[in-house]
Amino acid sequence: MDRKKIWVIFLAGLASLPWIGSGAWCADPIYIGVSGPLTGNYAEYGQNWKKAMDLGLGWINAAGGVNGRPIELIYSDSKSDPKESAAVAQKYVTDKRIVTTIGDFTSTACMAAQPIYDRAGLVQLSPTASHPNFAPGSIWSFGIIGTQAGEGPFMANYAVQMLGKKKIAVLYINNDWGIATKDYFVKRAKDMGAEILAIEAFFETDKDFTGVLTKLRGFQPELLYIPSMYNEMALVAKQREKLGWMDVLLMGPGSLYSPKLLEIGGPSVNGLYTSAVFFPKDPHPEVQKFVKGFEEKYKAAPNMFAAIAYDGINLLTDIIRKAGTDRKAIRDELAKTKNFPGVTGKITFTEQRDVVKDYRHLVIKNQEFILFEAK
Amino acid sequence: MRSRLLLILGQLINGLTQGSIYALIAIGFVIIFGTMNLVTFAHGEVYMIGAFMGYFALSVWHLPWYVALAMGMGVAWILGFFIEKIAFRPLRAAGHMPPLLITIGLSIILKDLAVVFFGAENRPVPSIYGETIKIAGFQLSLLQLLIIGIAGVLIIVLRILIQGTKIGRAMRATAQDHEAAYAMGVNINRVFSISFCLASCLGGAAGVMVGIYYNAVYPVMGDTAGLKGFAACIFGGLTSIPGAILGGMIIGIVENLTVQFIASGYRDIVAFIVLVIVLVIRPQGILGKTIRAV
Repeated sequence: MDRKKIWVIFLAGLASLPWIGSGAWCADPIYIGVSGPLTGNYAEYGQNWKKAMDLGLGWINAAGGVNGRPIELIYSDSKSDPKESAAVAQKYVTDKRIVTTIGDFTSTACMAAQPIYDRAGLVQLSPTASHPNFAPGSIWSFGIIGTQAGEGPFMANYAVQMLGKKKIAVLYINNDWGIATKDYFVKRAKDMGAEILAIEAFFETDKDFTGVLTKLRGFQPELLYIPSMYNEMALVAKQREKLGWMDVLLMGPGSLYSPKLLEIGGPSVNGLYTSAVFFPKDPHPEVQKFVKGFEEKYKAAPNMFAAIAYDGINLLTDIIRKAGTDRKAIRDELAKTKNFPGVTGKITFTEQRDVVKDYRHLVIKNQEFILFEAK
Repeated sequence: MRSRLLLILGQLINGLTQGSIYALIAIGFVIIFGTMNLVTFAHGEVYMIGAFMGYFALSVWHLPWYVALAMGMGVAWILGFFIEKIAFRPLRAAGHMPPLLITIGLSIILKDLAVVFFGAENRPVPSIYGETIKIAGFQLSLLQLLIIGIAGVLIIVLRILIQGTKIGRAMRATAQDHEAAYAMGVNINRVFSISFCLASCLGGAAGVMVGIYYNAVYPVMGDTAGLKGFAACIFGGLTSIPGAILGGMIIGIVENLTVQFIASGYRDIVAFIVLVIVLVIRPQGILGKTIRAV
């Protein structure tokens, strides 16, 4: 009997330690759930997010967090696979500690998880989903990178007006984002008087482009517009070299603006045209603070994906500071955001919880991204 | 009209290049089935490991392509040796299913090990022979010629091995009737082992060549390639090496013509539809016979 009592007291003592401890410890953290690709085809993008968010949070928490409480991120690897992102969403909505989420990376993965976040009432702020149907799909969904409805016309203008290419062929990745990107580009390009000679699709896992490149070559386009990610574009650039097809210009949307494209593509991506919402040499002090901090901590320059994730975490922290930790209050405050100063430009949400971005023209020269100067 | 013809010629060459690679994988299946009467589902992964070896040789150690090819083939040979030892040898009397299941398991293990050790992303392989030569207005890719050439050389070497050497004769004998061969003093275990290693070696070569051709290697690359190689093997008659070569070429060409005349997304669908139609009309495959011909 006595022994049993001792055990009970011992265990009770053990169990109460966390409560005793936390009083003397710092206040308990506020949790933000992150759903993104840490492994898989899009791993590099997810790793960029993580670096940027860790950097941003490091500064936020060092300055006392939000009302003395540190912000902590809970990461889940979704591989940006719609099956996984839905599972992650399920996990997050039932975790009472999580007050808001950031993610996912692709529009497809975001839209797969959207109904879950919508039903349960948890904010899903995607740093990179640019499909025009994403944010309008739920009052809990927010996008801060701008949609193809904005980028498509910009790129069409770049190709047709600035570069003067009227004969264009399109090779797009066959997913939600790729289709939307292709549609917006083609529509504006046609309006501007360009001839769209051919439109071909490829699948995410395709590695062989020799067949489709041979086919497109037959139409003799002056420019190839390629909505894709860096992996596929690098392969296209290399394989078109192998076919000796060097007299066509390659262009793609801002998804290509990443050092990985240069690494994988090598010299074959020289001359490629793309866009950016974030350029590290922007002299604005907020941008420079981020760029210098990132370079110091990671010995590498941040790319657009790091920058947008950084903006995401700063925006959410600011909202939590204003609205507290109630999930609905956070959503309502977030929707009211006007002119939030981000390193990727000012963030103001439209009625649909999208943003309109300012883009820059880029081109790759000597295996470096530089601003394109119109002559 | 002329440019149309050149376009089709271009697609044919694309098809022949891909087809040579499928052919090498298919020949591997034919050798294994021909001598051992068994199928392996881990062949795609042997191909993948060979490809990664090629990647390391080319991208990391900056060795010339023929060294990379030799290393890929060597690693695949060794891997094949162990697969045969683990999956097939202990279960000689057990029939088709147990070894098959073990190879399915090995396939999954190898894939996951590759993801753990190499990561799931594409590894970029540097471009070689990026130049083209102009013949009568047509641009011929040197790399494509190289790949078709290497495949051709490997096939010729294989034929010499099988027709002209003692071990080749032992393999043919085993393929015809392994009990009779055993009775005549052939070391069946050794023949099986060498056949498997040889098949794996060809798979490894195919892997290295694919890495060079598409500039990318990644852990699940063996899935589609293994499937198409197996399909080519069946297409050609399951036990016929010329059939496997033909099967590989046909699948490669049909794929690329589909891309040209229909759309890129239909390439696999049409290739497999053709396969199904041929097998319905002629179930033993194009060059299949009831007696094994190697």
